[in-house]
Amino acid sequence: MASRRCLLRLLSSRLVPQRSQPLAPVSIATRTLTSLSEPLGPPAPRALPSPRLYYPSRCHFATRSSGDEDDDEYEEEHYDEEGSEGEWGDEDEEVAAKKPSGKTEEEKVAEAAEIGYKVLGPLGADEKPFKPYEPVFAVVQIGSHQFKVSNGDSIFTERLKFCDVNDKLVLNRVLMLGSQTQTVIGRPILPDAAVHAVVEEHALDAKVIIFKKKRRKNYRRTKGHRQELTKLRITNIEGIDKPETAAVAA
Amino acid sequence: MDYMEGGKLFRRSSNWKMNKGKIFKLAKGFRGRAKNCIRIARERVEKALQYSYRDRHNKKRDMRSLWIERINSGTRLHGVNYGKFMHGLMKENIQLNRKVLSELSMHEPYSFKALVDVSRTSFPGNRPVKKEGLAAIL
Repeated sequence: MASRRCLLRLLSSRLVPQRSQPLAPVSIATRTLTSLSEPLGPPAPRALPSPRLYYPSRCHFATRSSGDEDDDEYEEEHYDEEGSEGEWGDEDEEVAAKKPSGKTEEEKVAEAAEIGYKVLGPLGADEKPFKPYEPVFAVVQIGSHQFKVSNGDSIFTERLKFCDVNDKLVLNRVLMLGSQTQTVIGRPILPDAAVHAVVEEHALDAKVIIFKKKRRKNYRRTKGHRQELTKLRITNIEGIDKPETAAVAA
Repeated sequence: MDYMEGGKLFRRSSNWKMNKGKIFKLAKGFRGRAKNCIRIARERVEKALQYSYRDRHNKKRDMRSLWIERINSGTRLHGVNYGKFMHGLMKENIQLNRKVLSELSMHEPYSFKALVDVSRTSFPGNRPVKKEGLAAIL
């Protein structure tokens, strides 16, 4: 069963969402199950999100449990097992604290987030960041993967460590912007452009079975692997004139 | 293979039954007896898993060559071939990767033409831009 902390589960259990665990693929399922079953004693210092969380109603979580979803829009959502960047924090000593690893302070966390080309914004509470589709695209880079995104898209990236479900992110490594009238090409990045996204869920990929065999040599190894992913939903693209709004305003 | 212990019959191959179910589950859609008979299914499933291991690595290579094909065909519409196009982009320090470039060549033709023009100014293409009509005569 996929261990996912999605918006629905937040709504149902009304717990402060626990930060992402250190990456130990074997024990993640057990760890999240046990952690979510016991309510956290000391309440977190930040305000609990209100129960009336806005979440997009068309999340189809049931589809994740099927076996073969390897090629789900490979061009847009590249989530294969490329090496994930960055530092592995220590084990989460302070479970009730806001940040997962005890050794990194808030500034260091922000710096590490910069390496992954994202910036944590505040949690969205009581606001509806999802706008109707605009014919504007941006090419954004997260880690070593690039995506061509537009308003309302959802992309799967490698697990982003310092953000939680329903967090707002700003992806600031934008390589190109395009609209119906303009194309802006960055060399290599555009400093004034920003793409806003919301973390939709932290999920595990479908299981792949790693099977190695040497014939006639009595050697056979089987291993299962589930890659950790984050699903982001793009809400806004800034840095380019959007022709429709200009026409409406004019 | 079977042995008695404590009055119960233990099949040495007691895991065999569980394993059979898993093997048949992985053998869905196989041809002929390979989806029904355990001896044949086991071999075929092992081969299938080996192929999937190998092809997960091959998929990355195949996708990259597909992207390069698409970029090539997209740029040749504008009179530049793939090598010169990529060289021009590298000179301009544009770090778009081939996956995104192939998507742009398919879905964003005007933006892709802008990229081709940038590359052409940075590194001259192998065919001058076709002039149509009166401009061709002049």
